[in-house]
Amino acid sequence: MTSFDTLMQQARACVDDRRLERVRAWKQENPGALAIGHMPIYTPRPLLEALGCLPVAVFGGGDQVDVIRGDAYFQSYICHIPRSTIELALGGELEPLDGMVFPAICDVIRNLGGMWKLLFPEKWSAYLDLPQNFDRRLGGAFYAGELRRFARELEARGARPLDEVRLRAAIADENARRATIDELDVLRRDEPHRLRASEAYLAVRAGSAMTAAEHTAFLREVLVAARERQTRKLDNVRVVVVGSFCEQPPLDLIITLERAGCDIVADDMQLGMRMIEGAIDAPSAGRDSVDALADAYLDRGAATASRYIGELVKGRALIDRVRAVRAEGVVFAAASFCDPALLDQPMLEAALQREGIAFTTLKYAENTGQFQTIREQAGAFSDSVKLWGGAA
Amino acid sequence: MSHLTAGIDVGSSSVKAAILRSVAGDHGELVASATQRIRRRNVREVARATFEEVCERAGLPCPALDSLSTAPFDYVASTGEADLVEGATGHFYGMTAHARGALFLDPEAAAALDVGALHARAIRMDPRGKVMRHRMTSQCASGSGQFIENIARYLGVPLEDVGTLSTQSPSGEEVSSICAVLAETDVINMVSRGIGAPDILKGIHLSLAGRLLRLLRAIGGDGKVVVTGGLAIDEGLVKALRETIAGERRGSKAVTSTIVADPRGVVAGALGAALLGAFRTEQLRRLGDARISAA
Repeated sequence: MTSFDTLMQQARACVDDRRLERVRAWKQENPGALAIGHMPIYTPRPLLEALGCLPVAVFGGGDQVDVIRGDAYFQSYICHIPRSTIELALGGELEPLDGMVFPAICDVIRNLGGMWKLLFPEKWSAYLDLPQNFDRRLGGAFYAGELRRFARELEARGARPLDEVRLRAAIADENARRATIDELDVLRRDEPHRLRASEAYLAVRAGSAMTAAEHTAFLREVLVAARERQTRKLDNVRVVVVGSFCEQPPLDLIITLERAGCDIVADDMQLGMRMIEGAIDAPSAGRDSVDALADAYLDRGAATASRYIGELVKGRALIDRVRAVRAEGVVFAAASFCDPALLDQPMLEAALQREGIAFTTLKYAENTGQFQTIREQAGAFSDSVKLWGGAA
Repeated sequence: MSHLTAGIDVGSSSVKAAILRSVAGDHGELVASATQRIRRRNVREVARATFEEVCERAGLPCPALDSLSTAPFDYVASTGEADLVEGATGHFYGMTAHARGALFLDPEAAAALDVGALHARAIRMDPRGKVMRHRMTSQCASGSGQFIENIARYLGVPLEDVGTLSTQSPSGEEVSSICAVLAETDVINMVSRGIGAPDILKGIHLSLAGRLLRLLRAIGGDGKVVVTGGLAIDEGLVKALRETIAGERRGSKAVTSTIVADPRGVVAGALGAALLGAFRTEQLRRLGDARISAA
């Protein structure tokens, strides 16, 4: 059995693979196959896998990239992830990608998609207009049509033709990965001393440039090793972190929250891997697996900021989550200038206030390097909840 | 129910540890305490060594690092740089720990003035020890113990003699209270002018006291104020604080703070953490929460 520490080192190497060496190696092993990058939040990776492509989650440059050229493309009041993504692309670090998907998150990502087309006209890129109408006959038909269009366009670029059998197999692989991530989440919830949020984060993010099957195998190793770990229980406050679904917090920020006395028992980081709540069902009679992908998004897409649904629904979903993981408080951690997260926050706060659930709010950028203020704020919050049962 | 708890406070220049025996998670008896300077040693190792020292002083075994149990302690609480304490049960934020420690030293305390090597903070708390307001010195070093250490070094005075020497001066020589760099330049000039170490140190203490009282005023620091942190045993600073408050009383500012100094104030953070650990042990026991029972 591989040790937990070794697995974490492997995960860290995958996360730090900014030059996409792993993707380059995959392309060498699969000559002619396409690697397709996608921005957060959600892209249906099984569709890409069924086309013989490697889906690659792109989370920007994190805290490892000095943004110089990227700043020229965005105003100062725009979040950080599009700048660092442009910086990586202009620096050639995303060169192994044969295409990019820009899912509908916000205007900034839409603009980034437009810039991509101008900067890299030879590469395939697409804006994935996720439906905001959740009726299968309207939003569902539109979304399935978009996915079929993607398939045709990628086939024209050398991808395998869309095939029902292969798509079913890819969906099965994705469902297996999702089930394994659920197991990780249960371990985090029930025994947070065996698997800290920062460790689970690394394990999940390691799969950014893996096929679902490969990632599932890795996650299973992590699960086995984590369950075997001998670690002491900690008296921490149990919190849910929300607002970090797109631009990711630096890993050190997650560790800072943990060191301040928080067990992050649930979060919305890397939401794409958990966007569909549960397994993607097999298609019903007369429908195919593309329809099944669309139905899953419509019916069981997570209640997140990029989904325009009633505020009471989102508030209820957060409360239900807090209850389900037995959390004692919520930390709103949103990227600076992240409009979707910051616009949703007041209604989520109101929902928590109605239920008497403690919360605190903080902001970060993917390249934040100083955590003293966050540490003090999280420490005060943790003590307040732990000792006095309420907000600071 | 009786609880045995330990608190370990990792600061920027020293590690403090305290062992406490308490009943029902409330006030208790300080069994032993220990302080070790970090100097240039590995902080993690100093934290461990300080814990071992305090256990030895208390005549108790120190829990092994690789053990899943904290026995004989019900709770080992860390505060300060928590990640450098191995084997802790839980962590408490420094201000919460100092507030609780101050209340242990004087149950009527309304505020704590925590003066450490790197920062100083004024903390107003309620009778439970919950932090209600606080103010902290910014990046400037002139509000910290490190500043005193630097001055002592310039003067060639042992650190432990600084307080006593300062109390020998009636009024002190005025120094800049704005900036540590300017103050250090002032001190060099004073030395060259032949001013004695007691007057210089008194001037430094009055300067520091002025800064600290501004923090206190910002949080509404009336009532009893317990000095905690490394400078709690600096009698020169305590005297300067009291004199400055007395001077303000004679003037137009109605400050009614009463400075409380206790030699145990140095370990107030560790003591507070141990107390909070006891409180937490009792709280979890009453709630039937098994989150810290043996893994």
